[in-house]
Amino acid sequence: MHDLVLQTVAKLIIPFIQLFGFYIIFFGHLSPGGGFAGGTIVASSFILYALAYDVQAGFKRMPRLASKWLESMGALLFVLVGFAGVAMGGSYLANHTGLLDLGEAGTLISGGFIPLLTLAVGVKVASTIISLLYHLLEEKTNV
Amino acid sequence: MTHLPIIVVALYLATAFALPLLGRVKKLHTGYFSLCIATAGLVMSLLTLFYVAREGTFSYFPGDWPPPVGIELSVDWVTVLMHLTINLIGLLVLFYCIEDLSSEVRPGHETWYYTLFFLLMASLNALAMAFDMFTVFVFTEICTLAACALVAIKPKALCVEAAFKYLILSTLGSGMLLLGTSLVYMVTGHLNMGLIGQLLPQAIDLYPLNILIALGLFIIGLGIKSALFPLHTWLPDAHSSAPTPSSALLSGLVVKLFIIVVGRIIFQVFGSELFLMIPIPEVILLFATFGIFAGSLMAIAQTDIKRMLAYSSVAQVCYIYMGMALVSQTGIQGGLLHVFNHAVMKSLLFLAAGAFIYKTGIRKIEDLVGIGYRMPLTMAAFSVGALSMVGIPGFSGFISKLTLAFGALEAESPFFVVVIIISSLLNAVYYLPIVLRGFFGRPATEFQWDKLPLLIIAPVLALAVINIFFGIFPGSLQELARLAAETWLP
Repeated sequence: MHDLVLQTVAKLIIPFIQLFGFYIIFFGHLSPGGGFAGGTIVASSFILYALAYDVQAGFKRMPRLASKWLESMGALLFVLVGFAGVAMGGSYLANHTGLLDLGEAGTLISGGFIPLLTLAVGVKVASTIISLLYHLLEEKTNV
Repeated sequence: MTHLPIIVVALYLATAFALPLLGRVKKLHTGYFSLCIATAGLVMSLLTLFYVAREGTFSYFPGDWPPPVGIELSVDWVTVLMHLTINLIGLLVLFYCIEDLSSEVRPGHETWYYTLFFLLMASLNALAMAFDMFTVFVFTEICTLAACALVAIKPKALCVEAAFKYLILSTLGSGMLLLGTSLVYMVTGHLNMGLIGQLLPQAIDLYPLNILIALGLFIIGLGIKSALFPLHTWLPDAHSSAPTPSSALLSGLVVKLFIIVVGRIIFQVFGSELFLMIPIPEVILLFATFGIFAGSLMAIAQTDIKRMLAYSSVAQVCYIYMGMALVSQTGIQGGLLHVFNHAVMKSLLFLAAGAFIYKTGIRKIEDLVGIGYRMPLTMAAFSVGALSMVGIPGFSGFISKLTLAFGALEAESPFFVVVIIISSLLNAVYYLPIVLRGFFGRPATEFQWDKLPLLIIAPVLALAVINIFFGIFPGSLQELARLAAETWLP
């Protein structure tokens, strides 16, 4: 399927979708949203790309292996950041140990490693949704 | 040291996520890597046992946020007992996986199997110590999905059908758990089990209906997941068609953990007074009694050995429910003891049956005549499990049935002693013929040793040794179960 209108609009709108998705992720500790919502938005831009151009073009942009790696890495990052709390003498996932500055509430660089965790969730959710789409599309071609 | 229980969970989760990345390495290496991690888990739960024995039980607050705000993980004696059970059985099943998996799953899917295995183990460990309704719900979901996938990973239509049935029914159970949680949250404003427990005696006067419905939803929802008798319909299909290691895990561990959650909800959230006010113990006892007989009778009718073992699980789960619903300390002690003993026995029986299938391909019970001449060690281990199931003295099954019978006497309901005795006879009806025919049937071939890979025969024999050990020296385990029962019913 090669629809010029769809492809042009997709080309124009995808950067903004991704920007908005990352905005939601990075402001997760300040405003409604966070890793799950932001990750879904980022993933939707890849889904739009794969649908507007072609699945093969989508595979080129975001290879399966990359999304598999990101999926594992996002979840691993979350678990490992939790260990940092233990290593600094607090509980698992403890944020008050002074490893990362808690900063001033309401500013972007604040909240210790919470932004890191929302980023990990965002990466994990985005790559999982892309993987799910790939599974659905692949099933269609296999039959 | 207090971090150990959560480190086990986090380590298993990290391993589950790291394994797909390591999957590029040879498949056997991922298996041995998994073994190292599972051994570390077992060592950590043993250290937790020693720590709790010396310093006493404690609560753990991830992120250092104490309860109304944060999550509470309770490391009490129930948790310690369950962690030991989970990690011990998990490790032995993992040994069995390494050789057996290649004959059960598609080539290349072994690494995914280990990933699912560790997700399951992490969720089971977390369920054992979760002291917060929503944490319970989250890990219930992880556990359910991992368990369904462990059934469906075998490329057979039967497995997919069984897994689908399991998925639908246990999702229904999760929904009920969530609904019950929200009803309790509505009247108490807390998710922490301890805080709900403090507020419920006041709340029951104001909102009796909410709390009754919530208790009903909890028991039915978790009853589906733990296969309490009339809600057990998914279990025989799922447990018999799954790959052998999955059957051992599902029958030995997964159903037990949901019983532990039911126990926590009954005794630590609602409390025994509130629980006894409503005729719910009677209902559970009724279900359990029917389940003990129905499970055994259906097991007698089976011709497939794994299906027979699955129906036997239905009956054995009902023993544990019976122990809890007797609401006497010895009864709960017997139930918790049976959680451990049944986990050992049933995984032993499933792994031995899997070894028969691995070597000979025989699944029909009538074809197992003379199997003792071809696989004497495996059949001896199977016999240990079978005799233990029947409750012959000297095997661990006897100890837990005896304790359950004492519990029934303590609760002044000797009727259940009769139930236990009759059901033991029924167990004998379907277990002993296999043993007798296996050893004394007409041998089809010359006598020969098992000639099984070491990694298959070793866990089977280890489970048999554990079974006999705790049958002859039950003292330490009894003490552990007694302390755990005291946590629930002081």
